[in-house]
Amino acid sequence: MDPMIFVQYSPILIRGFGLTILAWLLGTVFGMALGLVIALVQRYAPKPVTWVIQAYIEIVRGTPFLVQLFVLYYGGPMVGLRLDPLPAGIVGLTIYGSPYFAEIFRSGFRAVPHGQIEAARAIGMAEPAIVRRILLPLGLVSALPALVNFSIILTKETVILSIITVPELMYQVQRMSTETFRFLEGNFVLALFFWGLVEVISRFGRRIETRITRHLIERP
Amino acid sequence: MVQASSVEIAKVNKFYGPFHALKDIDLSIAPGKVTCLIGPSGSGKSTLLRCINFLEEYSSGEIRIDGQLIGYKTPGGAKMSGRDLRTMRRSIGMVFQQFNLWPHMTALENVAEGLRRVRGLSRTEAEARAAEALRKVGLGDRMANHPSRLSGGQQQRVAIARAIAMEPKLMLFDEPTSALDPELVGEVLNVMKALAAEGMTMVVVTHEMGFAAHVADRVAFMEKGELVAVDAPARILHQPEDPRIQAFLRTYHERNLF
Amino acid sequence: MFSVATFIDSFGPLLYAARYTLLISGLGIALGLVIGALICAARLSPFPALRRFAAVWVSFLRGVPLLVQLLLVYYLLPVIGIDVPAMVAAVVTVGICASAYVSEIWRGAIAALPRGQSEAAVAIGMSPGDIWTRIILPQAVSLSLPALVNELILLVKASSLVSVVGIMEITRASQAQAATTYRPLEVYIAAACIYLAINLCLAAVGRVLEHRMAV
Repeated sequence: MDPMIFVQYSPILIRGFGLTILAWLLGTVFGMALGLVIALVQRYAPKPVTWVIQAYIEIVRGTPFLVQLFVLYYGGPMVGLRLDPLPAGIVGLTIYGSPYFAEIFRSGFRAVPHGQIEAARAIGMAEPAIVRRILLPLGLVSALPALVNFSIILTKETVILSIITVPELMYQVQRMSTETFRFLEGNFVLALFFWGLVEVISRFGRRIETRITRHLIERP
Repeated sequence: MVQASSVEIAKVNKFYGPFHALKDIDLSIAPGKVTCLIGPSGSGKSTLLRCINFLEEYSSGEIRIDGQLIGYKTPGGAKMSGRDLRTMRRSIGMVFQQFNLWPHMTALENVAEGLRRVRGLSRTEAEARAAEALRKVGLGDRMANHPSRLSGGQQQRVAIARAIAMEPKLMLFDEPTSALDPELVGEVLNVMKALAAEGMTMVVVTHEMGFAAHVADRVAFMEKGELVAVDAPARILHQPEDPRIQAFLRTYHERNLF
Repeated sequence: MFSVATFIDSFGPLLYAARYTLLISGLGIALGLVIGALICAARLSPFPALRRFAAVWVSFLRGVPLLVQLLLVYYLLPVIGIDVPAMVAAVVTVGICASAYVSEIWRGAIAALPRGQSEAAVAIGMSPGDIWTRIILPQAVSLSLPALVNELILLVKASSLVSVVGIMEITRASQAQAATTYRPLEVYIAAACIYLAINLCLAAVGRVLEHRMAV
């Protein structure tokens, strides 16, 4: 094992890492936003609308992320949707994550005791205010652990973007491996890297969680 | 003295699918009077109470607050708009068995929330009035606490403060002491008693026969969705004529023997 | 624009390839169940070293993307002198990865059993072996079935990644098909339909199991 190759390739590795983080961050934020919208629509929209959305959820959850990316990136141009690899990857992550985030928000909302919504109705609060002031803050808190958890899962999905040639970290490591014929080392370091990343994020997530839920835990 | 509402309930029916939960209920409550609803569990007393502020939709009949129909535009007609319903609910306070405080807000914020969002008061004014309401229920020193740091009795008093801060003309209580440890029941009942003394119209679903006997102007007994009798507390609790009431009170007293 | 004929024609080769998708995910979950049971046992064992090993195993496999694991195994095997077909390497990788999740599912199912049950068994004098085989495992296994079906659905989707080491499962077959027909949209949508059909069937099985348990 020759550590020099990592030094030699560090510029492209760092650039790749930057893209990995960028794709993950945007995919997570957009996916969460879309998921939140879906969860709210599912809660308030009329039946036929919720059926359409349910079909979307089933389709996205029932198919592999890689195939979704292929449909979007290779199939998209046939219907006039021409995206560069990186935007396609971010859109793909957004779509892929949205039903899972929606499900997380939905069960977060369900965890809000109905009585607390009723109490707001009983003093005459309007539905938008109830969503903003009661449902969202309480639902988000109970959804938080699952949100963090799924965001971590998404970091791992970003490596799949390399298959549609997004030059993120995985892609750059494969390029380095091919050019130096060091296939094992590159992937080994990549594995260690993701392991560390996931551990750090989950630890960070748990810390935020305890801070935010501190008022909600019964301590009479 | 507070401005108090009257409640007129006429021929109210409620169905859950095929289940007939309320059967032709007639009940009128004069301004400033306290009415206790008693009866076995599942008799429909909570359902009736929740129909009064339309948290529960009644299927037919009329419920009028100060003469104004709640829930529907016309008797048996279309439902009233959400805006109109909210306007009516502003003057009806409700206290729940499970308190239903919002756990992410302090006691003060819980009480101020409705004043800000519904009455549109500024933050400072809302909090000033909320503080006043909390002092009234004896919690002037607990305003900054979150519900998780309050006892059940304190939480229920915050819930009462939340309701009275809106300056309601009618208060609905849905088994307000049933979720409390026995030693905490008294503090809540005292607050309710003080409220009754101010002349508030109150409808109280309760299992506290002592409260019904001493504070209520009238006691209504319900069973299987029917309003069996409405009368002065003494007549219902001490000389009931209906065998169903006698049976209910017998069970109640037997349980309390232990 | 959308060629229905190409879409329908794609199903032939893709359905043929689906047998490899099913084979890899089926064998993967089987291997995952075996290794997962061992890891779960290690995790619950009284030996700190074993517990530590199991914890690291789970944390590593859950932290590293499957695609990276796959390439790691694929390149590692020749280096340590093991020469096996890509198919075997793929099944082993998928199975090892699944073992981490399976062991957590089982740990969760065991933890979900009320403590009082084993206490009651201890109280009537049952041996630890009997408590495990008669009380804990039968319940934990049936409790975990829906989650295991869910894990199988994840594996069906994850098996699309073994296309990168050249195994002709659905995804690889659809890439080949797209290359010859120049109609990627139709072909990949057809592939998505097959995955969806498989997973909807599995989800239905999962619901039946869950329903039976609730009774």
